[in-house]
Amino acid sequence: MKSWWPAWALLVLALVLGVCAGHEWAAPAQIWSAFAERDTLRARLLWEWRVPRVLAAACVGALLGLSGAVFQGVFRNPLAEPYLLGASGGAALGATVALLVPLGLPQSWLLPLLAFAGAWGSTLLVLGVARVAGALDAAGMLLAGVAMAAMLGAIRSFLMLALSDETVSLQVVMSWVLGGIQTPGWSGLGWLALITLGCLAGTQTLARGLDLLGLGDATAQSFGLDVARFVPRAVLLGSLVVAAAVAYGGLVAFVGLAAPHIARWWVGPLHRRVLPASALAGAVIVALADALARSVLPPAEVPLGLITAVAGGPFFIVLLARRLRAHGGRA
Amino acid sequence: MTPMLSAAGLCVERQGRRLLDGISLDLPQRGAVALVGPNGAGKSTLLHVLAGQLLPDRGGVQLQGAPLRAMTVAARAAQIGYMPQRFEPHWDVTLHELVQMRVPDAAPVLARAGLQPLAQRRWSTLSGGERARGMLAAVLATDPPLLLADEPGAALDVQHRLALVQALARRGREHLVVVAMHDLDLAFECFERVIVMQQGRVALDGAPSVLLQDPRLDAVFGVHFERIAVPPHTLLRARNQEDSNAH
Repeated sequence: MKSWWPAWALLVLALVLGVCAGHEWAAPAQIWSAFAERDTLRARLLWEWRVPRVLAAACVGALLGLSGAVFQGVFRNPLAEPYLLGASGGAALGATVALLVPLGLPQSWLLPLLAFAGAWGSTLLVLGVARVAGALDAAGMLLAGVAMAAMLGAIRSFLMLALSDETVSLQVVMSWVLGGIQTPGWSGLGWLALITLGCLAGTQTLARGLDLLGLGDATAQSFGLDVARFVPRAVLLGSLVVAAAVAYGGLVAFVGLAAPHIARWWVGPLHRRVLPASALAGAVIVALADALARSVLPPAEVPLGLITAVAGGPFFIVLLARRLRAHGGRA
Repeated sequence: MTPMLSAAGLCVERQGRRLLDGISLDLPQRGAVALVGPNGAGKSTLLHVLAGQLLPDRGGVQLQGAPLRAMTVAARAAQIGYMPQRFEPHWDVTLHELVQMRVPDAAPVLARAGLQPLAQRRWSTLSGGERARGMLAAVLATDPPLLLADEPGAALDVQHRLALVQALARRGREHLVVVAMHDLDLAFECFERVIVMQQGRVALDGAPSVLLQDPRLDAVFGVHFERIAVPPHTLLRARNQEDSNAH
């Protein structure tokens, strides 16, 4: 079995790079002194602004990688991704409603709740549409997901046009739609870290089931997996992870697609290892992409989702082409 | 002695077509049973129902005297080994990992099956014969009292198909093995009981030596069988019915 330390080393490197990067580049030595004494303005900026931001980016990346691994496992398709299957779109719609519709409830828990409801609702709808159409295979699901994502996007745009006013700036909503890590305070970061660890532990309970599901329904069943009960449970948990990722990082495309691929290439196909490895890979990707987002166009920030989409789109196209060639034209 | 498997009045209907039409069967605690019949006779459907993977529209199956329907998936998996017609895992697992999905300790299982040298090989690198042996080892890893196999080795060459079918039949000395298959000569030679299905019903059921001489066998398969005596066996050679009339 491959050892984990190179991946951890890579993560630490990405985190350090992330803290250094920004419209003002900080030397690693300055980070160290910021850890030691926090009296200068620069040190406090680093400590209260960049470090939590970078750690939050890593957590969001871990959640995206994890959700991608769960979805690819459940749908037994290396092209499945929360963004493509409409789960992210649903979560973003939920978040938009929470931000724009005055429901008179505290936003701190309304937003994650609606994000979760949206993610789950849209995933179930996609599953339902694909099932009714009799195409529970990858291509059917992806097409249903694309249609769902387009519809959800349209509804979201309508809400943004119709409901935004001076009190709720469009800027806030746009930052969700385009993807961007919210910079949390340290206590907020604590929560995010806790949620990420919880998702890691929760999805680990799916590992054996996801392995078995990869053998096909009949064999999985004959090896002792209650497929009919496991699939909805896995989808529910996967959507929970997506909702958490969207609540903290907005719509970030293709990380959920790429991270599990890197993970499987590195640790093999068993989900006991694929899940944490996907989380690690996702954390590294988003930490680096976020560093790029903060440093390309100083002092402005490029939305994170744009960077991952530009980098991840070609990745998806290559995967799709390879798969089409291997399967004689079927995705 | 209670039968291992007992089916009563099994009916399965799909889109107005009867796939199983009132099948009743008693299968003993041990024995090698071959399930034969033309395409679409309902062999695979029957195996699916006996494995508990498909609920019949009418009728029921009892395993060791207990209704199969009431058992949990895990309990069924412990009692019934099921070897599917086609098996293509979605992820490229090693043989060791495949067996591990059935039992935590895969090494002794692979050792017993003589598959240790292949343990770390990925599925995509195994030959058809190696895959069949590997899958059989994984299915039998829990040593289930009942094994159902759906045309195992249909895609294998003669040598590997013979080895696989003989291994299955041998298991019938200690346990119950039910194998759906197309190769009639192998079925009649290696198995002690042959069930012939036709249009969702059991057309013939008995010992090979008796069934081989039964003229109804020809009608079920829609051919004329030439019976060629090669003591101690009788081989079947199929001829078109028109051809044999002309002779």
